[in-house]
Amino acid sequence: MSVAEVIENARSEGRTLLTEVESKQVLHEAGIAVALAFLAHDANEAAKAADKAGFPAVLKVVSPDVAHKSDVGGVRLGLDSKDDVERAFDDIVAAVKAAQPDARIEGVAVQKMAPAGTEVIVGMSKDSQFGPVMMFGLGGVFVEVLKDVAFRIVPLEPKDAREMVREIKGFAVLEGVRGQKPADLAALENLILQVSEFIEAHPEVEELDLNPVLAYPDGAIAVDARIVVS
Amino acid sequence: MTQLFGAPADLQKRLDRAFNPRTVVVVGDKRAMGYLWLNCMKTFDGKVYSVQVDPNEISGIEAMGVLNYKSLRKVPDDVDYVVCAVPRPIAPRIIADCVEKKVGAVALFTSGFAETETEDGIALQEQITQMAREAGLLLIGPNCMGIYNRRLGVRHSTDQPAGDPGNVGFISQSGTHCINFSLVGALRGVKCSKTVSFGNAVVLDAPDYIEYLANDPETEVIAMYVEGTKDGRLFFDVLRRTARRKPVVVWKGGVTAAGSRAVYSHTASLATAPAIWDAAMRQAGVVQTESLDETIDAVNALTYCKPGTGARMGLIAMTGGQSVVITDAFERAGLEVPLLTSASYEKLSSFFNIIGGSYRNPLDAGGTIGMGFAPGNLQKLLEILEEDGNVDAIAMEVGASFIARRLRENPALLDQLVETLASHKNRSAKPFVAIAHPGHVEDVMADIRARLIARGIAVFGSFQAGAQALRRTIDYWRARRDLN
Repeated sequence: MSVAEVIENARSEGRTLLTEVESKQVLHEAGIAVALAFLAHDANEAAKAADKAGFPAVLKVVSPDVAHKSDVGGVRLGLDSKDDVERAFDDIVAAVKAAQPDARIEGVAVQKMAPAGTEVIVGMSKDSQFGPVMMFGLGGVFVEVLKDVAFRIVPLEPKDAREMVREIKGFAVLEGVRGQKPADLAALENLILQVSEFIEAHPEVEELDLNPVLAYPDGAIAVDARIVVS
Repeated sequence: MTQLFGAPADLQKRLDRAFNPRTVVVVGDKRAMGYLWLNCMKTFDGKVYSVQVDPNEISGIEAMGVLNYKSLRKVPDDVDYVVCAVPRPIAPRIIADCVEKKVGAVALFTSGFAETETEDGIALQEQITQMAREAGLLLIGPNCMGIYNRRLGVRHSTDQPAGDPGNVGFISQSGTHCINFSLVGALRGVKCSKTVSFGNAVVLDAPDYIEYLANDPETEVIAMYVEGTKDGRLFFDVLRRTARRKPVVVWKGGVTAAGSRAVYSHTASLATAPAIWDAAMRQAGVVQTESLDETIDAVNALTYCKPGTGARMGLIAMTGGQSVVITDAFERAGLEVPLLTSASYEKLSSFFNIIGGSYRNPLDAGGTIGMGFAPGNLQKLLEILEEDGNVDAIAMEVGASFIARRLRENPALLDQLVETLASHKNRSAKPFVAIAHPGHVEDVMADIRARLIARGIAVFGSFQAGAQALRRTIDYWRARRDLN
C-alpha cells in the first residue's frame, strides 16, 4: 500500500493514529531505515512473518486499547525459531486478555530484533507559529528527565541536521564513551533529513515519533514508530 | 510576503517610494504635541505639507512656515509618505483620502485600536484594515511612529540625526525601542539607514520590512525588536533568506504563547515555545539579543569588526587584575585564550617589561605601553598578535580608567592612542575590539569611546559586553560559512 492508501485506510476506520505496522510501512516506502513489522492474526501467520523478517524475532501486541505493551505482557523478545514465535503469540494473547480483558486485540506485530545500539529519538510535532518542528535527542532519561533535545524547523538543510545532532548536551555519548565505538553520525543526519523530506511531502502528518532509533557504528534504524495524521 | 500588492517586486518598489519620499504630508499635527511631526520633518530634504482643519492649529502651523491644506485631496503634489496623527474616529476618513490621493504609504501614529482590547478599538482597526487591504494602500501601523530615513531627514523624533547616510536598518513593533535604538545607537556609533516602527502591523508586517531592508543597498546590517509574529513560518523564511545576504540581529521581547499541541505526543510535550523560537533563530542564522545594549553592541561588532570565524583571542590589558578578568570574560563567552607561538614570545621577550607585567596571553602590558600611551610599543604588541598564527582576534583594554585625568591634562596622548589603534585596525585582517570601562572621570572615558568608534573601531563598556558581541559576530560568520 502507498502512503496515501495507508492513511486513507486509517481514516476510513475513523483513526488518526497509524499503527506501528502502518507507520513503519509508510516510512519504509519513503526510504527511511525502519525495522519493518508485519501484522499476524494467528500463531501460524506470526511464524511465517518471523521467517520473512528474520530471527531473532520480536512480537508486540497490536491493540488500540493498550498504551504500555510491556506492562500487560504484550511484548516478547529474542525468539530464535518458528516454534518459539508460535508459542510467544499464544502467550501474548493470553497475557493481554488476563491483564486487560476488555482490550481489543487486532493481532501481533512481528519484526526482527535489532541488535543493541545507542538509543536516540527523532520526532516531529506542529508548532502554532512555525509549523512542523523536528526534535532530536538521546533516548530514555536524556529526553524524559533532562529535556536534552534539539529542535529545527522543517525543511531542514544538511547543516541543520549536522548542528542538531551536535547541539545536545549528551553528544559525547554518540561520540563513544567507555570504549564504545562512535555512532554513525552521517547515518543519523541522513535519517533526520529523510524524515524532514517525508514531512514536507506529507503535510497531513501531524505528529511523528521514531522512538527509539538505534544508532550503530555503521548505520541507524528506527525500531519503533508512530504517526498521527490529520 | 504580504500578497495584497501583486508581485513581491511591486511591493518592494512601493516601499522604496515610501522610505525615500520626495513629498511628505503630516495630517493632524497639533500644538499640544509641540507640533512634533512637523518639527521632525524640519530636516527633511523634500516638500512638507500639513493637513489640519482646526483654525486654532492652522495659525501655529503656518507660523512654522508650513503650507496647510484642509484636506489631503487638495495637496497639489503626488504624496509619497503621510504621517497621520488624527484622533481615532477620524482615521477612516484619512485612510479614504490616502486611497483617493494614491499616496505611497501612510503611517498611523493614531492609536486606540486593537491594542486597547476594547470592542470599539478592535472594530475600528478592522475597518481601516479592510479599507487599506481592499485598496492596496500601504498602511504602516496603526499605533506606531512610522519611518526614519537619516539621509533624507525624515524623522520620528526631533533628536534623531539627519543629513548624512547610515548603514544599519532597524524595524520595531515598539515605537520606544525604535527611537531609542536610533538615539542611543547614534551616541555609540550606530548610523541608521532606515528604521520603521510598525505597531499593530495590520497590513504590512515584519517580513515585508525585513525583505525591503534586505534589498536596500544602503542597509548593510539589519536589527529588529519583535514581540511575536502573526506568521512565524513566513518570518522564519524571510529571516533565513536575508541572513545569508547581510547580518541580522533579532531582539525578542516577551514570551511566545505556546500553541495548542497534541497532548500525547512525546515531542509536543517537550516542545516549549522559547526553545523552538531559539532553534528557529539559530537555524535562520541570525544573531539573538535580549536588550537594547546587547543589540547596539552586536550591531557595532558586526559593522566595525573584520569578519572572522576563529575564536582564539589575543588579549591586552593594562594591569594584572584586569588581565585576569578580561580572560575570564572572553573564556566565559565561549572564546579561547591560547598560548602564543614561540616566535611571538621571542619577539616579546626583547622589549616587554616584565616588572609588574607578563606576556603569556593575556598580555599584562600597562607598563610596556605606558597604559596605552606609548604608541611605539603598543604598535609592536599589536603587530605581534596580528602575525601570531595562534590568534584569530584581538581585544584590548584601552587605557586604565583610573588614570583618565591625565588624558584631560594632556589630550595629545589620546590623539596618539586613537591614531595607533585606527592605523592598526585599517591594516589588520583580524577582528579587533576595544574596551573602555566607565570610570570616575567618565566624560574622558566617554570621549575615548566616541573617538574610537568615529574611527571605525568597535568599542565596548565592559569586557563582558565586548566578549559577547564578538562571540555573536563569530557565530554569525560561522553560520554563513557552514551553509554548505
